[in-house]
Amino acid sequence: MRIAFDTGGTFTDCVYLRNGRIQILKIPSTPGNPAEAISIALAQILRNNGEVRPLDLACGTTVGTNALLQRQGGRVALVTTAGFEDVLEIGRQARTKLYNLFVKKQPPLVPRERRFGLRERLDSEGRALLSPSPKEIARTVRAVVRSGAESVAVCFLFSFINPENERRIASALSKAGLQVSASHEILPEHREFERTSTTVVNAYLVPVMSKYLAEIERCAAAHSRQNLKSSFHSSIRKTGARVRIMQSSGGILSARAAAREPVRTILSGPAGGILGAQYVAELAGVERIITFDMGGTSTDVALLERGRSGALATTSETIVSDIPVAVPMLDIHTVGAGGGSIARYDRAGALRVGPESAGADPGPICYGRGEKPAVTDANLILGRIPEAGLLGGAFRLDIARAREFMDREKGSAASVEKFAQGIVDVANAVMEKAIRVISVERGHDPRDYTLVAFGGAGALHACDLASALDIPRVLVPRIPGALSALGILRADVAKDLSRTVRLEIRGATDARAALDREFSKLQRDGFKQMLREGFAGNSVRIERALDMRYSGQSYELMVPYARDYVRAFHSAHEQRYGYADRARPCEVVNVRARFTGRTPKPAIPKLERSGPSARRSLISQSQAWFAGRRQATSTYAREKLLAGNRIAGPALVMEYSATTLIPPGWTGRVDVYGNILLERRP
Amino acid sequence: MRVDPVRLEIFKNLFHSVAEEMGAALRRSAFSPNIKERRDYSCAVFGAAGQVLAMGDHMPVHLGSMPMSVTAALNALQLDPGDVALLNDPYAGGTHLPDLTMVMPVYAPRNRRPLFYVANRAHHADIGGANAGSMGMSREIFQEGLRVPPVKIMERGRVARDVMSLILANVRTAREREGDLTAQIAACRIGERRLLELAAKYGQREVISYGRHLLDYSARMMAATLDAIPDGIYRAEDFLDNDGVTAERQRIAVTIRIHGKSAAVDFTGSAPLCSGSVNAVEAITWSAVFYVFRCLLDEQVPATSGLMRSIRVIAPEGTIVNARPPAAVAGGNVETSQRIVDTLLRALSRAIPARIPAASQGTMNNLSFGGSDARRSPAKPFTYYETIAGGTGGAPGSPGACATQSHMTNTLNTPVEVLEHAYPVRVLRYALRAGSAGTGKFPGGDGIVRELEFLTDVQVGILSDRRELPPYGLSGGKPGITGKNELIVKGRARVLPSKCTFYAPAGAVIRIETPGGGGWGSAKSKKHFARGKSNKGPALEKRQGQGTPSSES
Repeated sequence: MRIAFDTGGTFTDCVYLRNGRIQILKIPSTPGNPAEAISIALAQILRNNGEVRPLDLACGTTVGTNALLQRQGGRVALVTTAGFEDVLEIGRQARTKLYNLFVKKQPPLVPRERRFGLRERLDSEGRALLSPSPKEIARTVRAVVRSGAESVAVCFLFSFINPENERRIASALSKAGLQVSASHEILPEHREFERTSTTVVNAYLVPVMSKYLAEIERCAAAHSRQNLKSSFHSSIRKTGARVRIMQSSGGILSARAAAREPVRTILSGPAGGILGAQYVAELAGVERIITFDMGGTSTDVALLERGRSGALATTSETIVSDIPVAVPMLDIHTVGAGGGSIARYDRAGALRVGPESAGADPGPICYGRGEKPAVTDANLILGRIPEAGLLGGAFRLDIARAREFMDREKGSAASVEKFAQGIVDVANAVMEKAIRVISVERGHDPRDYTLVAFGGAGALHACDLASALDIPRVLVPRIPGALSALGILRADVAKDLSRTVRLEIRGATDARAALDREFSKLQRDGFKQMLREGFAGNSVRIERALDMRYSGQSYELMVPYARDYVRAFHSAHEQRYGYADRARPCEVVNVRARFTGRTPKPAIPKLERSGPSARRSLISQSQAWFAGRRQATSTYAREKLLAGNRIAGPALVMEYSATTLIPPGWTGRVDVYGNILLERRP
Repeated sequence: MRVDPVRLEIFKNLFHSVAEEMGAALRRSAFSPNIKERRDYSCAVFGAAGQVLAMGDHMPVHLGSMPMSVTAALNALQLDPGDVALLNDPYAGGTHLPDLTMVMPVYAPRNRRPLFYVANRAHHADIGGANAGSMGMSREIFQEGLRVPPVKIMERGRVARDVMSLILANVRTAREREGDLTAQIAACRIGERRLLELAAKYGQREVISYGRHLLDYSARMMAATLDAIPDGIYRAEDFLDNDGVTAERQRIAVTIRIHGKSAAVDFTGSAPLCSGSVNAVEAITWSAVFYVFRCLLDEQVPATSGLMRSIRVIAPEGTIVNARPPAAVAGGNVETSQRIVDTLLRALSRAIPARIPAASQGTMNNLSFGGSDARRSPAKPFTYYETIAGGTGGAPGSPGACATQSHMTNTLNTPVEVLEHAYPVRVLRYALRAGSAGTGKFPGGDGIVRELEFLTDVQVGILSDRRELPPYGLSGGKPGITGKNELIVKGRARVLPSKCTFYAPAGAVIRIETPGGGGWGSAKSKKHFARGKSNKGPALEKRQGQGTPSSES
């Protein structure tokens, strides 16, 4: 049985298929040990579903991101070429804010006393100028061990051309029992600071991530065995469970591979959301979307130019909390505001929301333990979340408690409702800004896009945001509270390999033989790794691409490797920069191959068609606050809605994993896949 | 027409993103490390009357002075659709000769007047003259390189080959220059394309009027900021070590008069024109004033010409802050500009002490070299230019940053792996300069030590300062440690002057140690040495020589 998990700050979402139907389960996250929630969910799923054969798990995780954001990774040492121990701290020597006299720089992940130089040096062609002596290697290993590091990053100058010296020290360090991240393996590309930074992030996450993954594998195996014992098929030899992890680039990969290169999972959960959103947008026939994934702790937004699958834009210039991470990732922007974000007045009397979050523990006030007002409490006070509670009533909300504590914290606000409205407004402003960063600031007009809202709280805030940004349409997918998990469930197994080759090209033909050779090398590695992932040669799809530039430039354009790749490069350059110089020699810097193994794709079943009236799904009438006024608001049950139903705001649509708010002036229409398309009434 | 605050915000971002996008195109398609890696360029969008509507977050020293380039181009030339003007003459809209500026009008189809102008400026690694890299010692502008008054580098969409050939014949690295100039033209066209898209989408009238609203908006923001500074007369002076020719200190004097919502910034009393190249043209002085006052505003305020509406700059002609021809000016742009900022901040620290940090390194440590690369056959001429970061000043409430560019520059470093691949040079060391920061309640940041070995015979130019007079501390903080330049030939080191040009043989090593930032507040008790709170993750680290932790939060 294939089960997808998305571990968020507040909830762990699970999605799986039973009898061709998509099933959803939400379990409160267990931040102390994120694998525990997965174990609880597994137990529950297995109890309800009986025999499920070998387990096939795919997980999206925020373990890496959180460790990096909160600076709670492992104790790392760094070994560099002697004389360059400070490259990590100097960075690119520029400041992040131009017009700020109070220049601040984040401290590096590895402090000075754990950075060690080894006397070794290559020239720019990869020839050894100075090889490290065995004695010096031994001395460096001793120093690293003495420093108390549990994980080590190694990054030498020009190791992307000649990894020999890195390999030697790496193997010596491994023998000493340390977990080693070597830059020629993590990111064999030029520019020492970005490579060092990325390798250090990897080393920083290795201890945290291997612990987490080992835990998941252990409990998956345990559940799998237990399950088999009780079934008739206990003779099946294959008792192991398969665990795969979502990568930031949009493909999944075995837990073992992920444990070695956790830097590739930094945007794991959000990447699942993008795949899910892209899928539902495709179903709804929408091309340009802005994804808005509001969870309990944070909100992720991304802009997708075209809904075509397999052509998601990745960037290798991601910066996570001021740290460059140069492995390819989907282009996602994150802000620290979500349903669990805590509201407070700052010293100057301004109301602030986030980035502190009540998380799952203690949670918002209305969950029964928290004492600080969170966005969810504000929504409850305003009547935007039904009192009956979340998760189909499995999770009741205590409105009296929320009112009591919020009254205590409301400060200068005239009433609890005004305070609550203020909290919602400020949270919306934070998220509006995030969407501006990826749209307006990059020259995209939000009016041309559809907002795809998901995550536990996305559909509650989407229409307000759309109004603020002039976005004409909001799409709330069928299962907004578990869309990331759905995306993960649908993800293909993918492995990206690249190699820096720096080949000068004058015509397409002269380099083809050399390039073919490079690709066949990549292919050998790729097939080997895909076999380990369970895919034989003929079931693996390969996409080949080249990073090209004019000789002498510093930035490359990626073009597919085909017969006319040189011409393709010139036209790509022309399109991007407005000119091409067909007489200038160009250069292939990197060859890239993506190996994909297709996984079975569960489909969302179609709904029965019906007329516009949604009366049969009406649950109740209540009062909710909009712009300071109480208005009668109808609440509908999402699972009873049929294709063609229309709902005019103000209204709430309740479902297991989320609530959709349709404000006054908006109308929702249910499409045949159960998506709700919201538009403002003219 | 009513101003819609949401629209205003959107247009602010739209214009800004046009400038940023021009910058990205320039960086990504340029050829010389100084542009593609170090990002020593700037892009901006101008209204039809030549006022800045938006500037990319690029180089402060360029940005304040770009309007003068546009004005100079418009005064000299009739710019038709598809034309691009090129200039670098410091005495006609430029700053110093290596900065080549392009200005392009943006015409909507069938319009007879441009709707906007776009411009970009890039620092080229060579523009001819006596010194490889065009940033060495000189006494008059004629020695500093090719001087280009506003000319058309592109006419009606076609590159003017004659102008291009004239330029390329006068520089050391023609092929690279041609590539960079092409990238600059392309960046102009990207800006043109994006602005025309905006005009088509929102309507010309709307786009133009929101451009005007942005100017008014920033003018109002500046007025409110000035209003919050106590009225009064604030004076300060600071000095450059020397002009590279004589040993004399070069004085910068300023008097800032704040009166209600306006300010007058008067440089009367500054040194007369000097014999070396640290003369600044007025555009640079203007840029420095613009930068300092822009820093007092919220970061969200757009950097438009409107900001300078209520600020008057008085820079007496024929002084080091308003040079006349034929004075040499290469160092005015990079060194004098930093000292003008130091002086302005020192004056403001008397008005608003809680908002002004101690002095940052106060120099750009300009290093240029060139020669013939014998690794290639036939040997290929090359020139290279870089600036090196230092410590920033401690500030009330937070320590300075180590190894960071400050004030008028924000260029990146060239990665070692790019530098050595492109030029016959080897980096031996690139490290923090421990113990160089000024101590204080909030200490400054440390400078950098950078050692380069030349693999071939080269001509080298250094323009640096703060080698004799250190970056000042404030409120009892100690000054930073001065910088140092050394040349090591066959194991023997000798100290070089702050500004010099010389030939070095293959195998020679140059070592540059950059100044640390000044400290802020007196360090009465030991515990005040802590440089901010440590995060949970990385432990505090020990600094050599001072025993103070150096991580920052």
